[in-house]
Amino acid sequence: MSRKGRRITRREFLQDAVLATGGIALAGLTPALATAAEKTDPKIGAQLIGKLEGPTLILDPARFPKKFSEAPMLAELVKAGKLPPVEKRIPEEPLVVKPVHSIGKYGGTWRRGFTGPGDGENGNRIVSTDKILFWDYTGTKVMPCLARDWKVSDDGRVIAILLRKGHQWSDGTPFTADDFIFWYEDIYLNKDLQPTPNPDFMVNGKPGALRKRDDYTVVFEFPDPNYLFVDILAGSTAMGGGQATQQHFGRTMGAYMPAHYVKQYLPKYSSRDELDRKAKAAGFDGWVSYIKSRWDWRLNPDLPTLGPWKTVSPINTPTWGLERNPYYYGIDSEGNQLPYIDKISMALAENLEVLNLRAIAGQYDLQERHTALAKLPVFLENRSKGNYDVRLDPALNGSDATLQCNQAYDADPEVAKWLLSRDFRRALSLGIDREQINETFWLGVGTPGSVAPAESIPYSPGPEWRKKWSSHNPKQANELLDNAGLIKKDAEGYRLRTDGKGRLRIEMLTAAGSFIPHTQIGEMIKEQWKKIGIQGDVKEVERSLYFTRIKANEHQIAIWLNDGSEVIYLFPRHALPVDPVEALLGHPIANWYASGGTQGKEPKDPQLKKALELFRSAAGKKPQERYKIAQEIWKIMVDEQYSIGTVGQSPAAMGVRIVSKKLGNIPSRQVNAQHARTPCSSHPATFFFKS
Amino acid sequence: MLAYLVRRLILAILTTWAVSVLSFVVIQLPPGDYITSYIAQMSSSGSFVSEQEANALRQQYGLDQPQYIQYIRWMKMVLQGNFGMALEYGRPVAEVIGDRIYLTMVVSVAAIIFTWCAALPIGVYSAVRQYSWGDYVATFIGFIGLAVPSFMLALILMYFGFTLFNANIGGLFSDEFAEAPWTLAKLWDLTKHLPLPALILGLAGTAQLIRIMRANLLDELGKPYVVTARARGLSEGRLIIKYPVRVALNPFASTIGYLLPYVVSGSIIVSLVLSLPTVGPLLLKSLVAQDMFLAGTIVLLLGVMTVIGTFISDLLLMWIDPRIRFEGRQ
Repeated sequence: MSRKGRRITRREFLQDAVLATGGIALAGLTPALATAAEKTDPKIGAQLIGKLEGPTLILDPARFPKKFSEAPMLAELVKAGKLPPVEKRIPEEPLVVKPVHSIGKYGGTWRRGFTGPGDGENGNRIVSTDKILFWDYTGTKVMPCLARDWKVSDDGRVIAILLRKGHQWSDGTPFTADDFIFWYEDIYLNKDLQPTPNPDFMVNGKPGALRKRDDYTVVFEFPDPNYLFVDILAGSTAMGGGQATQQHFGRTMGAYMPAHYVKQYLPKYSSRDELDRKAKAAGFDGWVSYIKSRWDWRLNPDLPTLGPWKTVSPINTPTWGLERNPYYYGIDSEGNQLPYIDKISMALAENLEVLNLRAIAGQYDLQERHTALAKLPVFLENRSKGNYDVRLDPALNGSDATLQCNQAYDADPEVAKWLLSRDFRRALSLGIDREQINETFWLGVGTPGSVAPAESIPYSPGPEWRKKWSSHNPKQANELLDNAGLIKKDAEGYRLRTDGKGRLRIEMLTAAGSFIPHTQIGEMIKEQWKKIGIQGDVKEVERSLYFTRIKANEHQIAIWLNDGSEVIYLFPRHALPVDPVEALLGHPIANWYASGGTQGKEPKDPQLKKALELFRSAAGKKPQERYKIAQEIWKIMVDEQYSIGTVGQSPAAMGVRIVSKKLGNIPSRQVNAQHARTPCSSHPATFFFKS
Repeated sequence: MLAYLVRRLILAILTTWAVSVLSFVVIQLPPGDYITSYIAQMSSSGSFVSEQEANALRQQYGLDQPQYIQYIRWMKMVLQGNFGMALEYGRPVAEVIGDRIYLTMVVSVAAIIFTWCAALPIGVYSAVRQYSWGDYVATFIGFIGLAVPSFMLALILMYFGFTLFNANIGGLFSDEFAEAPWTLAKLWDLTKHLPLPALILGLAGTAQLIRIMRANLLDELGKPYVVTARARGLSEGRLIIKYPVRVALNPFASTIGYLLPYVVSGSIIVSLVLSLPTVGPLLLKSLVAQDMFLAGTIVLLLGVMTVIGTFISDLLLMWIDPRIRFEGRQ
């Protein structure tokens, strides 16, 4: 751990102390329990991974239920005349969900933990059925969501979205095409709110447009074919991510908005002075900040929403409380309006150790966020006492600790030369003992291999590409390095630089406090590389500094997850240098790509350039062709080893599920992926309390 | 006397201004800004921000402006009594801190009361009965209290509280009361949760105070006036309390300056470990998130509290100790 170049402030030191001791406290308890568990099964996690299952949608209107019922708390309101009857609150063609196990019972409060206002995703992911399109429970097939159906024109330029007649916002106002048009004309095209257009709504750099065909049909139009747009609408993207996720924290996308509510905060429909005055009174500096806080579902309980639950107690209080949306558009296969559970109560935990300790104490009914794989033995030990089960959900991405070799590095020409050398990168990869890393940091439940995604994904190039150049073979690695010209070694057996400036040192940059212990993994790789005579240096920095360094093109190798890369077209930034926000393979290259060649630096490597060209060509292609292109890209990436994979497809990130035994309709395994908005692909609205 | 006060006051105002500049600069020192840390946070929590969104946010919060302009903007707002928006919370800073400051004060004051109630009598006892069996016990416990880091103690007590007594983990309220309006039941709930944090927070201070009290009093006990008083036949209890203890208390007056900031911030680490909804964890989180309005305001508040506290101790000392008064007159 080094913070060379700047002094450690007292606060940083204290912060480290807290993190360290917190870790020690639980880790200290772990070893004894771990050995006890290991005696029964060397891979304690293996039996916790169940069969992938989940609720399904009934799409045939002939099989739709004809009679409806509702939660007792809503029935009372109907009786009192405060709410219209249930059949008037759900659309003519509702979202019909067949629960994974059984029809549920109404009632109860789902207790969870969250870590503060920065933890919006904690709730966003539960209410993500406010997306236009979504995926089935396997995360591979696009499914209706808000849209009951969609149509793509033959030339791929026009995508029509068919809405549900009678669909209403949580305040009972109809949800129609006008809500899309309002978003497009008054928000997206408003330069104060959206200064630059978003690439999600463009194809080949040309902007798309949104038109209303009738009250229940909107069409997205593009100047070039954009077959990919269906996936964009289904994915966790700026365009298709839904109201909750994409309009929280000052964001502007999501493609629709409750026009009848948001209008009052726009100068166009009110007066600017009046709005600025109101904003100042509320403590904001102007109407822009004010309106953005008004359309944030986490902060504003008055905001009409479409998800199964809506906020009643905002996220910036000690309890983020949600309550059922009486107008939710989903029902189960017997006509019961969803959700089953009345309320969700998320309690603030000031630090992760407290959150994990509370999970162990059985204070949460269902928690898959912030629960750490390293604490698995402690979770298991307290299962019966806390009355919960533990389920592991492996992710689909190839590698949770990926060594990204900066292909635009130029600070040290010698190191830059080696990072650009294919044989050198392959040797580094062959020098890694992935089994050891898997056993140590993933308790053996991960899958060692390259960066390529799981085979269940249509983009996968095939099982052999998980292994290629990604096994432990120090002998072959040494041959590669010798032949590359790194022959001379010093007294300790480390290879020397070819420019005569001593030992060749390769720096691995890691971020402090990341979900996966990248620093410790880096240290282990450093030990393993001794056998191939390569000196690795692990440099841990604070998380913001990590991204600042990468943006400044200062890193040689950066270690990070490649999560999300399994759906490479929707979330390419962890696989390819195409997005300047996070470009671990070289920020100048991403700038070059994103600017269409006007800025940044062209990649020197022809294969990398080819991968980028393939990627750019994909948006205009139909799904089957897109799969093929993705497979080509992955083959290049694995063969070239720009990104060295270690262990992936693991439950380490958001895959350790603590489930109360009282809950029903919990899949024994759910897909764990960003685009599937885990746990939303399991339709939390169908979870229920058995007693 | 008046001139002395005025001089102290002007110095205090200047110090406060310097604190405001320093707090703003120090918070901005780490590379990147709030948006960088937001991007990092999103990326490690399975979400993301696009370049366009990041730039729009920078513009909205004025983070694209040079630092001194940001400082002037902030100062202008502060002078109008507006401390800005807590970026992560989407609420005015004053509200975010206000939510927590009363509870922080309750916890801190409880800790201080515990410290004083435990430390002063024990300190006096240890001094008067020096090298007695009781003194050794007090000294032993005192040193342990000094040596064990309080967050460690917090973790251990929390763990045993959970395993042995199945107690609630962390926090100041049970779940059902966290959001409830203030009632007698909620007050009782708070009273039940308070002893643990007060004990942990107070213990280290207690040990220290015992040692100080003991040393100060020992200095005084041998002095001639004590001997004289004893020779005059004053009862031992009255003698100790009335004369040497009062003199020995002098140094406490000068440390009041440090008590005030402590009262409003509490202990950062212990609060974090115990998950107390106090200002301490808020400060830490805002620093990590590089939320300069929130962090700046808290640091400024702590600075101002220190300045006021020091001012009060100056006054107190002047009142207690004639030598300082004379110096002021010269």
